[in-house]
Amino acid sequence: MPRIRIYQEDHIPSPMQKVWQAFADNPFALMGLWAVCCLLTLAIFGPWIAPFSPEQQDPSALLLPPSWDASGTVEHFLGTDDLGRDIFSRLLHGAHLTFGMALAIVLASLLVGFVIGSISGMMKGLKSSILSHLLDALLSIPSLLLAILVVAVMGPGLDNVFWAVGIALTPQFVRAIHQAVHEELQKDYVTAARLDGANSIQVFWYVIMPNVWETVIIQTTLAISAAILDIAALGFLNLGAQAPSPEWGAMVSQGLDSLLTAPWTVTIPGVAILCSVLAINLVGDGLRSALSPIRN
Amino acid sequence: MGRYLLRRLNLFLATSLALVTVLFITTSYFPVSKPFALSGIATPTTEQLAQIEADYQLNGNQLQQFIAYAQTRLSGDLGLSVTSQRPVLEELTQALPASFELAIVSGIIAVLFGVPLGVLASLSKNKITQHSIMAITLTGYSIPVFWLGLTLSLWFGVELGWLPVSGRINLLYEIEPVSGFMLIDTLLSDSAYRISAFKDAVFHIILPAITLAVLPFTVVVRITRAAMLNIMELPFIKAAEARGLHTGTIVLRHALPNALIPVLKNMGLMLGTFASYAMIVEVIFSRQGVGSWLVAGIYQRDYTVIQGGVLGVALIIIFFSILIEVLHNAYNPLSRKEIYAAN
Repeated sequence: MPRIRIYQEDHIPSPMQKVWQAFADNPFALMGLWAVCCLLTLAIFGPWIAPFSPEQQDPSALLLPPSWDASGTVEHFLGTDDLGRDIFSRLLHGAHLTFGMALAIVLASLLVGFVIGSISGMMKGLKSSILSHLLDALLSIPSLLLAILVVAVMGPGLDNVFWAVGIALTPQFVRAIHQAVHEELQKDYVTAARLDGANSIQVFWYVIMPNVWETVIIQTTLAISAAILDIAALGFLNLGAQAPSPEWGAMVSQGLDSLLTAPWTVTIPGVAILCSVLAINLVGDGLRSALSPIRN
Repeated sequence: MGRYLLRRLNLFLATSLALVTVLFITTSYFPVSKPFALSGIATPTTEQLAQIEADYQLNGNQLQQFIAYAQTRLSGDLGLSVTSQRPVLEELTQALPASFELAIVSGIIAVLFGVPLGVLASLSKNKITQHSIMAITLTGYSIPVFWLGLTLSLWFGVELGWLPVSGRINLLYEIEPVSGFMLIDTLLSDSAYRISAFKDAVFHIILPAITLAVLPFTVVVRITRAAMLNIMELPFIKAAEARGLHTGTIVLRHALPNALIPVLKNMGLMLGTFASYAMIVEVIFSRQGVGSWLVAGIYQRDYTVIQGGVLGVALIIIFFSILIEVLHNAYNPLSRKEIYAAN
């Protein structure tokens, strides 16, 4: 039933509400948000939901196909791998390794990138260009090369993935925040605030930052999806999470031996990675289009 | 423009220096003795050890060591590979053409299919076409490349048996390396079977190239679409429409050249990810190339190969990303305004 408007003055939504409405109008973005919420829940509570422990081997059920296959059973919903480990449980246990790790990496590099980016964005001349341009070029060094260097020094392991992917992601944040701050700094309303006597810190926090948060949010969603893909790729190459670990990329590489006889050991973790990255990209896309009227 | 080029050259030199510094510091943290990590000779004789110490100034202070390190590395002496005991530079130059071949072919595939699809997506008024193109690109953007490669080789290589899944060419063909590009070398060779060898090389490159092309393809489609949507609203397009020009002319001559500028820029930004993906693809399809060489190097803890490979690949990528930026500025006069305003 349409709302009856008695008064001329209607409720004026706040900017946040406007963004939310624009976001919620896009069904795909909303779907992505639900999926991300589910993933978050699984990343936190996954180990309690999982029916088996990730390392528990069932010698009577080696390479069992998923339950929808004629020879599959419901006990092992997504089948088992070549050691008889339940793939469903391993996926649940791996969610916090892949997804949770990606979140931790992005938060850390966001923090570092935010500080460096805003400092270099607020500065002018040589200092600013040294900070930003050097990192600009670092941006183009592939994360895999950094990971190889880190592994050469510290040996493979999931902790080292944190450093490798984190170092690779930080320049992106620095660059995005530097550019956003720098662009805002040229605008007239900033000059007006300066003429009112605001010092640099006040200009930065109260005048510029409210207009930069959108860039930060969008960059964060992009970085999370990149981080998941990087962690999984390193796990796949055996440079990140090591063999018994249920990290999703490592699961793909462990399934590689039985690829021809049991393709689901590779397909299912791959689909899990694809779905989680897709969900985050859907949210990111939705956010970008919801925020774009404000940004322009 | 001259001043701008000078600044970019400076940037390249500064970044290379930073890179060498990072490598120098990392090398000293490698869990092996320093002469071994630097030269790649596991059990040097007394003369060799003296030579290494003289080359890398191992008895000097850190600054002297760094200068000696930078001098030897930049003069092309990357040491000997620990496993094969051949010069690293030689192995690197042998591996590079294969990687370039793969990268060029997939870049061409991405642009050739991506640009028309992006234009189509921007011109189409049909919601279903738009949504399906965007859905495909978003999926392609989210797909893990190692999994895609495995799935494609499982389908097309094993189950259907259409395409070979590993290597660059069937081992039956004996091709003399001339340029290092297999597609060119097969044509250049003067044997009787060169056409069938060429076909074989083409078959071998199809699957890896398509796997690698998915990421740049999706990026090209999305950027082209966004840029076309922006440009088609601009006054000069309206003017062209008012003059009664054919839609094809408007799109191809007036809109598309402008839409390609952001595509070029994003290609430069994507270079690092693209290189990472290329290395993974080489490992999956066991093609010879820098990626598989470097990954084998890290498995064998071949410290000289790791240093040399990282230095070489990173320098190439930095060079190309700066080159693309320069091209972007040369091609797009609007961005020059920013350069001068920034001074």
